[in-house]
Amino acid sequence: MTDGPLIVQSDKSLLLEVDHPQAGECRKAIAPFAELERSPEHIHTYRLTPLGLWNARAAGHDAEEVVDTLLTYSRYPVPHALLVDVAETMARYGRLRLEKHPTHGLVLSSTDRPVLEEVLRAKKIAGMLGSRIDADSVAVHPSERGNLKQALLKLGWPAEDFAGYVDGEAHTIDLAQDGWTLRDYQRDAAESFWHGGSGVVVLPCGAGKTIVGAAAMAQAQATTLILVTNTVSARQWKDELIRRTSLTAEEIGEYSGTVKEIRPVTIATYQVITTKRKGVYPHLELFDARDWGLIVYDEVHLLPAPIFRMTADLQARRRIGLTATLVREDGREGDVFSLIGPKRYDAPWKDIEAQGWIAPADCVEVRVTLPESTRLAYATAEPEERYRLAACTREKVGVVRDLVARHAGQPTLVIGQYLDQLSELGEELGAPVITGDTTVRERQRLFDGFRSGEIGLLVVSKVANFSIDLPQAEVAIQVSGSFGSRQEEAQRLGRLLRPGEPGPDGERKVAHFYTLVSRDTVDADFAANRQRFLAEQGYAYRIVDADDVQA
Amino acid sequence: MEGVEAAPGRHRSLADQLRSWPDERLRRLLIERLDLATPAPHDFSQLASRAAVRTSLLRALDSLTRGQLSVLDALVVAGQTSTSELASIVSASPGYVTAALDELQLRALVWSSPEGLRPLTGVADCLGSDPAAGASGLRPRSATPRPAAELRASIEELSPEARALLDHVIDAGGLAKASTTRTGIPPDQASTPAEELTSRRLLQSGGSAHPGMLVVPGEVGLVRRGGRTTLEPVDVAPEIAAEPRSPRLVVSAAVGAAGEFVRRTELLLQGWGESPASALRTSGLGVRELRAAAQRLGVEPKEAALLAEVASAAGLLGSRADADGNPVWVPTDDFDAWCALPTAERWVVLARAWLASPRLPLLVGERGPDQKPWNALTPELAAAGMPEAKTMVLTELAALPDGSGPAAGTGLPSLVARLAWLRPRRPRTRVDLVTWAVEEAARLGLTGAGVLTDYGRALAREEDPVPLLAAVVPAPVDHVLIQADLTAVAPGPLEPELARRVQQLADLESHGAAGVYRFTPASIRRGLDIGWTGSEIKEFLAEVSRTPVPQPLDYLVDDAVRGFGRLRVGLATAYLVSEDEVAVAELVNHPRASSLELRRIAPGVVISTLPIDVLLPRMRDLGFAPVLEGADGVVRVGTTEQLRARRPRESRGAARAAAQSAAQIEVALRTLREGEADAQRRPASASSSGGAASALRDAIERRGRVEIGFTDRQGVIAERIVLPLRVEGGELRARDDAADADDPDAVRVYPLHRISRVTPL
Repeated sequence: MTDGPLIVQSDKSLLLEVDHPQAGECRKAIAPFAELERSPEHIHTYRLTPLGLWNARAAGHDAEEVVDTLLTYSRYPVPHALLVDVAETMARYGRLRLEKHPTHGLVLSSTDRPVLEEVLRAKKIAGMLGSRIDADSVAVHPSERGNLKQALLKLGWPAEDFAGYVDGEAHTIDLAQDGWTLRDYQRDAAESFWHGGSGVVVLPCGAGKTIVGAAAMAQAQATTLILVTNTVSARQWKDELIRRTSLTAEEIGEYSGTVKEIRPVTIATYQVITTKRKGVYPHLELFDARDWGLIVYDEVHLLPAPIFRMTADLQARRRIGLTATLVREDGREGDVFSLIGPKRYDAPWKDIEAQGWIAPADCVEVRVTLPESTRLAYATAEPEERYRLAACTREKVGVVRDLVARHAGQPTLVIGQYLDQLSELGEELGAPVITGDTTVRERQRLFDGFRSGEIGLLVVSKVANFSIDLPQAEVAIQVSGSFGSRQEEAQRLGRLLRPGEPGPDGERKVAHFYTLVSRDTVDADFAANRQRFLAEQGYAYRIVDADDVQA
Repeated sequence: MEGVEAAPGRHRSLADQLRSWPDERLRRLLIERLDLATPAPHDFSQLASRAAVRTSLLRALDSLTRGQLSVLDALVVAGQTSTSELASIVSASPGYVTAALDELQLRALVWSSPEGLRPLTGVADCLGSDPAAGASGLRPRSATPRPAAELRASIEELSPEARALLDHVIDAGGLAKASTTRTGIPPDQASTPAEELTSRRLLQSGGSAHPGMLVVPGEVGLVRRGGRTTLEPVDVAPEIAAEPRSPRLVVSAAVGAAGEFVRRTELLLQGWGESPASALRTSGLGVRELRAAAQRLGVEPKEAALLAEVASAAGLLGSRADADGNPVWVPTDDFDAWCALPTAERWVVLARAWLASPRLPLLVGERGPDQKPWNALTPELAAAGMPEAKTMVLTELAALPDGSGPAAGTGLPSLVARLAWLRPRRPRTRVDLVTWAVEEAARLGLTGAGVLTDYGRALAREEDPVPLLAAVVPAPVDHVLIQADLTAVAPGPLEPELARRVQQLADLESHGAAGVYRFTPASIRRGLDIGWTGSEIKEFLAEVSRTPVPQPLDYLVDDAVRGFGRLRVGLATAYLVSEDEVAVAELVNHPRASSLELRRIAPGVVISTLPIDVLLPRMRDLGFAPVLEGADGVVRVGTTEQLRARRPRESRGAARAAAQSAAQIEVALRTLREGEADAQRRPASASSSGGAASALRDAIERRGRVEIGFTDRQGVIAERIVLPLRVEGGELRARDDAADADDPDAVRVYPLHRISRVTPL
């Protein structure tokens, strides 16, 4: 047997030993077809999925290459069934092709007639297809291109899309690299997106996803529609684009609840697009307002369902999705892949940290013991009330106060889910509170104050989960969250990971992330689930008792 | 056959010929036809008589190749003849015919009479009419065949219709209904094509053997086929379409599968040791149990069925009654010993059992003739031909050039065709059996990418495959890597004892060559339940982990210990007590607590109407950590006892069966030689009923007459001279020697028990 760094498991997971001399080489070799699932400190887990294998086919790798890679790097014999399965799965890709036909427009064709016959008989697909052209091809309604691809993927016969992309309305966009340069991984990410046509780029929070978006725009040289989560985030995008590219404020429009500008580069919020009036989406025309050459989806893991449907109609336009955490508790990762595109770039958080682009973080779970009376109340509470009861215990306030005191002088965020709890904390700590009810202007004022250092402590609700750029923040204390959401936990930690400037002693900052959990309650169970994503990215949580913190 | 001298000279009877053989040759006969040796025959006439019994003949014919059967068939057509003449009528090289004849004589299917080589009388009937099984379809030649030239001339004279009719009758087996066709007329009076044939004696009356039928004598068929019994050569076995494969792929795939098979067997049985699989009334394994097991292992149900069947064949899985007296499938006591063996040895135990097993696990889930799906481990799920199919498949694969396996697509059909040539007579389900054998061999890891591995070859040759396999299986590792996400990765197969202990404390998440285990509060609690203490767990983890134990895991252990035993359940009254009133409240108010049938009777005391063995697991399911309290109020913590069944007797070793048959042969040989001395002194006539049957069979083979003394229905003792034709079913069919040639009543049936004396004439 060889002494390779890779162990191929029969359940199709691949274990990569990180400290092995060949690990880097092996990582590069398996990256095209295997999905990185977990990257803790010693052994990284990849997984072979049909989707990943088909993406590899789309990128021009064949089954023989995959099998050879596995055999080359595998330390132990590779189960035959797995190799057969890889070959069979990959052989399913490309039997069907979506092509542009000179007279019939978009057609679905196949060299393998039984496969075509099989999918034509699928009920889900019937409505998407037009008339049969000949034995091997059938017309497709152009508007169904995305839906059809999605449905074929579900049937297990993914179509290779040869129909190409529209160039869109040209618009000059250049990166203004004055005093900064594109980081290697950002360039890699932008390029692998561009070669792939469409797809998703996964980078940790604070690693500069906006710049990847800007680089993609510079590649496209076309009018661009950017979809973001909220207005604050839209403003940040605008500022960042003005700073990093040749675009001027006049070329960038904002399309939100308050302002409706359509300019060569338009930034719209998910909220305004998904607003429904009298059963219709009045802002849908935005997608057709210009001949967009590129559509950017920020925080693609949050993409709401209506946007999925709208995106299905935009398959001819290039699309880039940006996210730090492509985990959805609703399990719709597959839709992201089939509608936005496959994952084009992924970097383990710890790798970026090792390169110094994001700050190292110290994650601590603080276990709070409930007093007898609260436990009794908890034990007898209705199941749906339990989490709230456990998460909002008074005990946490004291611990938060101690933690804030310990990190006096370091900009601190207190993050929670429940407004009562947040306002209670705000009063106790004498700190301003930002929730969904806070006006955009007030929010901007408080965030600016925080950035400039006037405000050292903010209590925020989930509005600050995403896309809020607070590079100064060094400490975050999480008191409650939306149940077991893994990506929320990661996004909240992400608020702290902007590296910031080195201090006077040359030391870079170390972020501190505290999460307060009530012992022996559902709070603790949810916390365990929430931490999984980060733990799998190699963030080791320490668990301490509240008494130890206070001592 | 080399190494065995051909029987010299000619013999009066088969018994005589056998008597003249050296021990070595007799031993070969008894090995090839084991049924002749049990029980040990007391002399050579009995041995020869047994060799002529129909069931024994059928069995012997079943083990012949198509070529050998064709030669035998030619001998039946020829009646009695010399080797050289036989060689001239078989479409095969003379060397092949000689070798085949030698093999046939060795099996006592053919013997040298004073008039020439003869097949045993029963052979003609047993050969059947399937051309694929070597039957040419020609009738035996007449006693005094006309010369070929004369026959050719007669055929020349035929009208095209008559010639077509003749060919048709020959191809249809040489028999035709006589109907109104006249026989014995001169050729010029023939009015139909059939009469053209009868008038020229190309079709002849069937006589008493085939009353009312017309037969084409063998010599006519031979002439129509150019002097040979078949048109195609019979000595060419179909070749297997083979192609070479990369050795790296072969070893990797095979060893991967082998390791996987052993691992899955262990997992399967371990699971059933903890919660036994309930058996069906028919003693099989229900669909639901099988599916649950398959899901647990992450395999398809067929694979799980194969695992269970092989484990059962290896004596690792057996059934017993559980506490309620219901039959369940659980690992046997041998399982624990097996678990302690190194991987290679464990695999060999399974592979040997598989090779000898007649079971058909891949049929599980398919519907049987009664439209009911087959269940795993049901007694009927077996085919007697399966072990032979497996052995032959392995032998054929071993005969391919090194590194080659059956070609994709054409390989399997050609393998089936070759096996069909080697054993044409049975079984009818060969295509299925061979396909299954090939697939099962791949799943067991005997073959990789279709190519038989070197250890597979060793197994097929009945050598020890352990050293070959041990050289390629991954060496076990003695450590794990514990990571911050509360997983432990074993970067290779763990040593069995270590694996067992890790599995007590963590859940297996991903299996394969390596293992990924996850620690959860429940898994640690499970460890506590079977007797680990907190400090033992920590010590163990620190010892086996190559990496520092992450702090959250330490904390998790402490937390589990803290929560462990907070609740106590009583055995006698099924009560629940706790100093912790809140915990009790938590339990009673748990949304799913209604299934526990709890009633709170005092602060900190709850009773339940459930028996403890139901209550305990349910409470643990709800996330509590109760401990059991004895009658004296002391907490009882200890290892859970896993169920074990006794290994079933019949599965104790194919090796023993082999040794037994070898011993049997030696006993038979000794008895024969000893009986021989007695037989020399005995008169040639036989008066015991067993002796009578032997003497009659002897006469049949010699085609000689005997005088029999028998008691008729009126109780009168009579004597008669007869030509014995057949001894079967306790009756003798014999032709009265005094009767006319065409007397239909000449053949009579005599019950054997009424025959008191047989004197050869």
